[in-house]
Amino acid sequence: MAAGQSTRRRAIILLILSSIILITLDLQSSSSVSSLRSVFGAVFRPIESTSRVVTRPISNAWHGIFDYNEVLDENDRLREKVAQQEGATIAAAASVRLAQELLALNGLPTLAGINAVTTQVIGDSPTNFAQTVEINQGSESGIRVGMPVLNAAGLIGKITKVYGDRSVVMLITDPDFALSIKVINTPRPATTTTTIAGSNSATPSPIVPLDPDQTLDSAVSTTTTTTTTTIAGFTPSVTTLPAAPSGVSSITVPLASDLAVRETGVIEGRGPGRQPIVRFIDNSLRFGDIQVGVPIVTAGGSRSLSPPDILIGSVSRVVERLGSAGPVLEIELVADLTNLSFLRVLLYQPITEKVTP
Amino acid sequence: MIRLVTIISSRWTRLVLVLLIVQSLQTTLFSDLRPFGVAAQIVLLFVVVAGSLYGLGIGALTGLIAGLMFDMILPTPVGLSSLSLGLAGATAGLLIYFFNEPTWWMRLIAVAVASVLGEIYFPIAQSVVGLDGWLELRVIKVALIVAICNMVISPLAILVCRWTLSERKSAV
Repeated sequence: MAAGQSTRRRAIILLILSSIILITLDLQSSSSVSSLRSVFGAVFRPIESTSRVVTRPISNAWHGIFDYNEVLDENDRLREKVAQQEGATIAAAASVRLAQELLALNGLPTLAGINAVTTQVIGDSPTNFAQTVEINQGSESGIRVGMPVLNAAGLIGKITKVYGDRSVVMLITDPDFALSIKVINTPRPATTTTTIAGSNSATPSPIVPLDPDQTLDSAVSTTTTTTTTTIAGFTPSVTTLPAAPSGVSSITVPLASDLAVRETGVIEGRGPGRQPIVRFIDNSLRFGDIQVGVPIVTAGGSRSLSPPDILIGSVSRVVERLGSAGPVLEIELVADLTNLSFLRVLLYQPITEKVTP
Repeated sequence: MIRLVTIISSRWTRLVLVLLIVQSLQTTLFSDLRPFGVAAQIVLLFVVVAGSLYGLGIGALTGLIAGLMFDMILPTPVGLSSLSLGLAGATAGLLIYFFNEPTWWMRLIAVAVASVLGEIYFPIAQSVVGLDGWLELRVIKVALIVAICNMVISPLAILVCRWTLSERKSAV
């Protein structure tokens, strides 16, 4: 009996010491711990898959009993939302296409040029202290640690662990999540307007005459024709602008102050049920007051794990801080993280992460 | 050969095999069913039940082994839930230690209290290694719901735990 207790005590001490050593090794991203996880995963996954098949009826029954009314309500809400968004989607798709063509014309990177893997969520985090989901694609599909993960609405997280046929996605709301972003602020409307005699005074933007020497009482009616260049997959079209009613050929140039201003910051998760925040926003005069509702997109760049301009959400609250410290922004995510099903992993790696052959 | 058979038929081998099944239920069924948005923790339940049935030493050892296995599938550093579950098992054993012949309801209370503490140990351990952001008021709500769930499932867990950890005379 005493010998058994002594052995047990020794085993406890040994396991405690092993745990401490493993924590130290894992925090330093030791490859031996990763191999240990892979070996354990190889043993555990078949058991887990069997459990999933066996317990699915119980899970379905549970959801049938407790979530039925919620699903009905959600269905109604979604139907209404779809009806509202049908029109807006067509306009948005046209804008996105135009923006991508412009980016392609100028040789700038676009999301359309990045390969992606479509994947399905197969499990939530088994603990209450990690905001992760598991997906059914892994390194065999080209997924690597750090790659951004999106759903139909926008960014939802990034890959943190990759195995052969599955990966773990850390959600934006996890307190360990951080990513550089851009806040696209719309500055306050300019108070000064330029008006030229004879032009339509109702036009809000200033009008710049093409030929300053041209007289206003010219009787010649002019027509401006714009032809787009040929882009792969895009049909060239001719846009004919009507002659200016006053006889002045003119183009509309917005003021620099009317253009959207961008400022970078870092988005950080704060756990489930709390909105992520954006910090390190510069308190500059040019950027102006940040308005609630302005969009937040990924910043991109050679060191960022995500390409630029992926939609994350919009500003829901601005918390001003004293002194020169910039404001802290609370963000309402466009993606619903509580109901994830199909996701898209962008096979994107920044230049600094790419391994040259 | 006899030694190998003894090892295979020992309660610790049985424990590892049962824990694999318990863990697979945790990652599938119990991650999916979330009463009030909280996942019931049956690995923790198994550990605290072991502690309340067999005392501090067995509870701690079961917790350390279960935690080490659970760590292999969690995104948190390996060893973290091993330490917190080991402590939870020891806590359950300690709560029952002072009673000579604990009744079923004393065990049930011990399971509930150890479940609350066990669920709080993990975010504390996370904070210790620098994974901030989890030690908040929400932990109390999570710990209470986990304790209630564990109390409900504990009769079944007691049966399984007794079968797993009972010492049997080897036929060899």
